[in-house]
Amino acid sequence: MELLASIAALCAIAMLLLVIGTVAQRGAPALSVGFFTNVDAAFLQTGGGIENAIVGTLIMTGIATAMAVPVGVLLAIFSTEFAPPPVAAAVRMTLNVLAGVPTIVIGVFVYGLLVVGRGQSSFAAAVALAIIMLPLIARSTEEVLLLVPSTLREGGMALGATRARTVLTVILPTAFGGVITATIVAVARAAGETAPIIFTSSIFANAVVTDPSQPMASLPYTIFTKSELPSASDQQQAWAAALVLISFVLLGSIIGRLLSIRTRRQIEQTR
Amino acid sequence: MSMESPQPLTLPTRSRPRFGDLGLRTIAGSAAVVLTAIMVAIVYQVVREAHASIGQFGLGFLTDNEWNAVTNRFGALDLIWGTLYSSLLALLIAVPVAIAIGLYLSELAPSFLRTPVALMVELLAAIPSVVLGLWGILVLGPFLADHVEPFLGDNLGFIPLFSGTPSSHGMLPAVVVLTIMIVPIVASISRELFSSVPSDLKQGAMALGATRWEMVRSVAIPQVSGGLVAAVMLGFARAVGEAIAVSQVIGGTLNQSWSLFAPADTMAGRIASQYQGAATALQRSSLAYLAVILLVISLIANVSAQLISGRIQRRMGIRT
Amino acid sequence: MQTAKRFGTAVLVTGVVALAAACGSSGGSGTSGGTSASKVLVGAGSTLVAPLMSQWEPDYTKSSGVTITYGAIGSGGGIDAITARQVDFGASDAPLSAEQATACKDCLQVPWALAAVVPAYNLSDAPDHLKLNGDVIAKMYLGTITSWDDPAIKALNPGVTLPSTAVAPVYRSDGSGDSYVWSSFLSAISPDFKSKVGVSTQPAFTVGTGAEKSSGVAASVQSTDGAIGYVTVAYITADALHSALVQNAAGNFPQPTTAAITAAAAAVTTIQPDGSVPLVNPPASAADAYPISTYSYAIVPKSSPKASQLKAFLTYAVTTGQGFGPDLGYPGLPDNIVTHDKQVIGQIGS
Repeated sequence: MELLASIAALCAIAMLLLVIGTVAQRGAPALSVGFFTNVDAAFLQTGGGIENAIVGTLIMTGIATAMAVPVGVLLAIFSTEFAPPPVAAAVRMTLNVLAGVPTIVIGVFVYGLLVVGRGQSSFAAAVALAIIMLPLIARSTEEVLLLVPSTLREGGMALGATRARTVLTVILPTAFGGVITATIVAVARAAGETAPIIFTSSIFANAVVTDPSQPMASLPYTIFTKSELPSASDQQQAWAAALVLISFVLLGSIIGRLLSIRTRRQIEQTR
Repeated sequence: MSMESPQPLTLPTRSRPRFGDLGLRTIAGSAAVVLTAIMVAIVYQVVREAHASIGQFGLGFLTDNEWNAVTNRFGALDLIWGTLYSSLLALLIAVPVAIAIGLYLSELAPSFLRTPVALMVELLAAIPSVVLGLWGILVLGPFLADHVEPFLGDNLGFIPLFSGTPSSHGMLPAVVVLTIMIVPIVASISRELFSSVPSDLKQGAMALGATRWEMVRSVAIPQVSGGLVAAVMLGFARAVGEAIAVSQVIGGTLNQSWSLFAPADTMAGRIASQYQGAATALQRSSLAYLAVILLVISLIANVSAQLISGRIQRRMGIRT
Repeated sequence: MQTAKRFGTAVLVTGVVALAAACGSSGGSGTSGGTSASKVLVGAGSTLVAPLMSQWEPDYTKSSGVTITYGAIGSGGGIDAITARQVDFGASDAPLSAEQATACKDCLQVPWALAAVVPAYNLSDAPDHLKLNGDVIAKMYLGTITSWDDPAIKALNPGVTLPSTAVAPVYRSDGSGDSYVWSSFLSAISPDFKSKVGVSTQPAFTVGTGAEKSSGVAASVQSTDGAIGYVTVAYITADALHSALVQNAAGNFPQPTTAAITAAAAAVTTIQPDGSVPLVNPPASAADAYPISTYSYAIVPKSSPKASQLKAFLTYAVTTGQGFGPDLGYPGLPDNIVTHDKQVIGQIGS
């Protein structure tokens, strides 16, 4: 049985290495300075790059983060500090349900809400990404807040501080590392989401766009479209874009993991 | 998903909360209102989009296998078939593997291996689905079509599963991709579950002379079986909702074939490929109807998983 | 706690700096970032016209200063987008249906490109330019002809050894003008196809694999032995696919050259009341006409806040822009169509 379990674990690792390895091997040849500083080539022309896609992804996830982090942290504060247990349980349930909504449905939702009648925009895509990030940030922040020992809370109250003051000046700073971790992991996840983007930001100029009211190129969408193109150079660019995206996502996940171990250790030390 | 969360601290509140408390409580409470609003808005908006199709076809939508933009008649049966076939088959393969990995990480692995291997399993979950789809189209699909499917067809072609012409777009690559997505989800939950089995139970069994495997089989697995069911449901919901990677490899065709080689389509995949350019308003509405079905499935799966894990938490609370 | 704060701040600062650097570099290279809305025309739709559009975009910007943003999301998507007024112009190879025309609320259809839809196939051990006819192709897509050495195909290609590879039809899974043209042709030839599959941007194909966009069909055909699909000529040359010769009503097998497409256009001189000009399956009198030719239409609202830019761009497209066509396989528009177009363009007001 131990053998079977080891084989299973080995299979998972093998899959991971296989996919990453293929992406790296096929994508690396297309990486060049030009790849990062050019926009897409015109039909029948080679060359071109993903500059506008990288900028687009950065801007979209940036806006999404700016929207999701405050709401997520406040939600966590609400359910750990202020809400009576049944309400907190309801909030947690809703968060878990929201986390399980298929991203394509969220794309349909945001399309109907923000794109119909108005046109596509990367802001709409950012809203969809924020909805996807929200449960991740809220749940992780809540976990960290719960780790903060109650002695800190009690200490604050004993000193006569308001609940709010205790939360803002004692608990949040202690949990700050956890919030950062949650954000990094959520950003890494959101950066790779394609389904919300195909309805909200798929008609864009072949140039670097920085205006959120306009649709922008994005890494996942570029990979998606180029993966279905027949020419070898386009496919290679898809691999290279995937390499960039995977590097970003995996790096974020690893950093998040390491940070979370560190934060937990730090909080343990305050006990 | 955390299985253990200590109860939040509830201190006695003053009869008249101070201003700072009121301020933060209101702001934090408004975040909860925003959350509820988002959830309600999603359901409302999607149902509203689907309204025309629901009105036109009703529940017959689920049993009609025609999807025809020319006659304006749409039915989800073939898509439901494709969704269930791909997701359940992927679950069938992924769940034993994932539970084995969960066991490995919690019980069997030497402790120096646990963190790195757990990290790698998490990274597998972090791979964006579009990258898996890219790998599926350009590597997995051709590999299966050129090497695996002909072999299966030649030797086992009498089984309906392996009948038909090998194709690089079809059910088989979709199942493989979905399996890769489900395994990390179920594995990480399994690991948490197995780690949470009280060690006195485990050691008790071992003290009575059970081998490791016997201990796992007779003590650990029954203890966490409810949680495993919850994990499987979450994995199922994930597979059902996957649109992008599936649409890239599955071939976008309607059929109800058992053959793994045949192209097919899923509800989520169809929405991804047709929503933007729907030929008629009724088609757009029918695609929204598919989204409603997906929403219902994910709601049921997630809420059930929540309830099961809530019950386990309470049961474990009583136990320890 | 202190280190966590410092680290977090460092991450944020890095992120902001990276973003600023990206924005800074874009100021030099991009044009959309700083241009006002009136200097941009956004369009979406047909993948058939996309190769030609990609030539128009830089050339028109150079001569007029207006940037054209075009999303090749398929004719169905283009019709949707212009109906919802999310874009300034739509592009479709399929004319608006009655329902779509009502929904679009006073939209004009301007034929601005002439093209051919060509069967592309992938068959190892077989030569390029196999001869097929509408009946055989319809049967392939209906599933009644299942292998390439079927007697019907052999009869059209005497002296050619055909392998027994299975036929794998590929069709567009998204809303497609190519599908409209293809299904129009096959429905005109085969009553069986017409009743079972029908004419639409999304015909009810029963057999085969779906792929998105012309490029997706090309990719799917390229990767499957025995596959047959349909794309416009530009994608055949671009991706070095084999293309089949299709028999026209006169019994000939013309290559889809600009001459053959022009001959098809010359055979049809009446413009339908809704502004469309169907070219599929020209009569036998057009002996050298390519049978699966089509116009591609720009769909614009009669009244638009960008009326003057639209008029200027469309006029460019139907006159100067046509010069880019022949190299990519699009013959220039016939004179009578250009005259008609100018008159329609004149109707665009604000």
